[in-house]
Amino acid sequence: MNKLIFRSMKANLFLTSILMLCFGCATQPQKYYFGDYSRTLYTYEKNKNDETLLKHKQELQKIISESEKRKLTIPPGIYAELGYLDLKSNDINNAVMYFNKEAELYPESKLFIDRLINKATSKNNANTNTSVVSKDNDLQSN
Amino acid sequence: MKKYLMSMILELLIITMLCACVGPQMTSKASKFPLMYQETPVSILILPPINESTAAEAKEYYSTTIQEPLAYSGYYTLPYPITSEILKMEGIYDSELLVNLPLSKFREYFGADAVLFTTIKKWNMSYVVLASNLTVSIECVLKSTKSNQILWKYTGTVVVDLSGGDSGNGIAGLIAKAIVTAINSAVADYVPYARQANYIALSTIPYGKYNSQYNKDQQFQFIDQAPDLSANNKQ
Repeated sequence: MNKLIFRSMKANLFLTSILMLCFGCATQPQKYYFGDYSRTLYTYEKNKNDETLLKHKQELQKIISESEKRKLTIPPGIYAELGYLDLKSNDINNAVMYFNKEAELYPESKLFIDRLINKATSKNNANTNTSVVSKDNDLQSN
Repeated sequence: MKKYLMSMILELLIITMLCACVGPQMTSKASKFPLMYQETPVSILILPPINESTAAEAKEYYSTTIQEPLAYSGYYTLPYPITSEILKMEGIYDSELLVNLPLSKFREYFGADAVLFTTIKKWNMSYVVLASNLTVSIECVLKSTKSNQILWKYTGTVVVDLSGGDSGNGIAGLIAKAIVTAINSAVADYVPYARQANYIALSTIPYGKYNSQYNKDQQFQFIDQAPDLSANNKQ
């Protein structure tokens, strides 16, 4: 008798903990589609090369297409990140296009995005390979 | 049926007893983090994590996990891969050096309403006879770039029992087992547990503008971890 009670109690406890776990996760409404974002970023961080970078870029593009398909808002930073990758590979037009999309979608990013656009256009004018942020020292001054 | 009822009652009793033993002090979002509702930050700059653990690689790995849950909580997260690179080029890599400095620069440069300091407290495996535990513990502190005050602070800790056997740890042990699916090897991947720790910590942050629960969660109850938060701000 005691054993039986104990056994079903254990099962109940297990169910309760599962329920508690589900509760913890399920309360987040699915507002964005992030796909495999953190995994491809993590793989890239772990092993930085052209292949892992390409995988991450493809994932960013997939997040945009999947979000559009599911009628979800593009998550914060995705357009900006794509633009930054384009900027690094000297595709200035695409970079500026993506930066503008980010600022349109998230107005609070405008100040930072304008900085990135300035860098992109000055890079285009100078047409050199100087570092993207080499001219900015204002963070360190004062 | 009777047996089932009895076991249910017993279980409830045990849970109540457990709760009473630990004695967690409950608090609400509004009473714990009033500044969040006053300042209503929207854009958050995530700083490179501070690593207090013994694992050198934890910093790089952990940093890839925090953007997503913060976005789900309703905030605009400045794109971390870009901002961290810029900070690095500016010579800012160790966020611990920024803890006591004015944060207005981050408002001017990035347009950030607040900055998030994350500290990896634990990221390790501990071996006990016949058992091994994996622990990931992350402390999150959100500070205003306007007032420099702490707006929100919480720690998420995940302890995973990798021994596989019956640990007899009660609810905690069972939860850990439910989290662990197939990982019993020594080469455990910490990242999923870092994500779990993030979700625990972020469950207490007042929702931001892009979440439907924005400004509706003042009465949400959670365990009070740091009764000294207000004292921190007075320093």
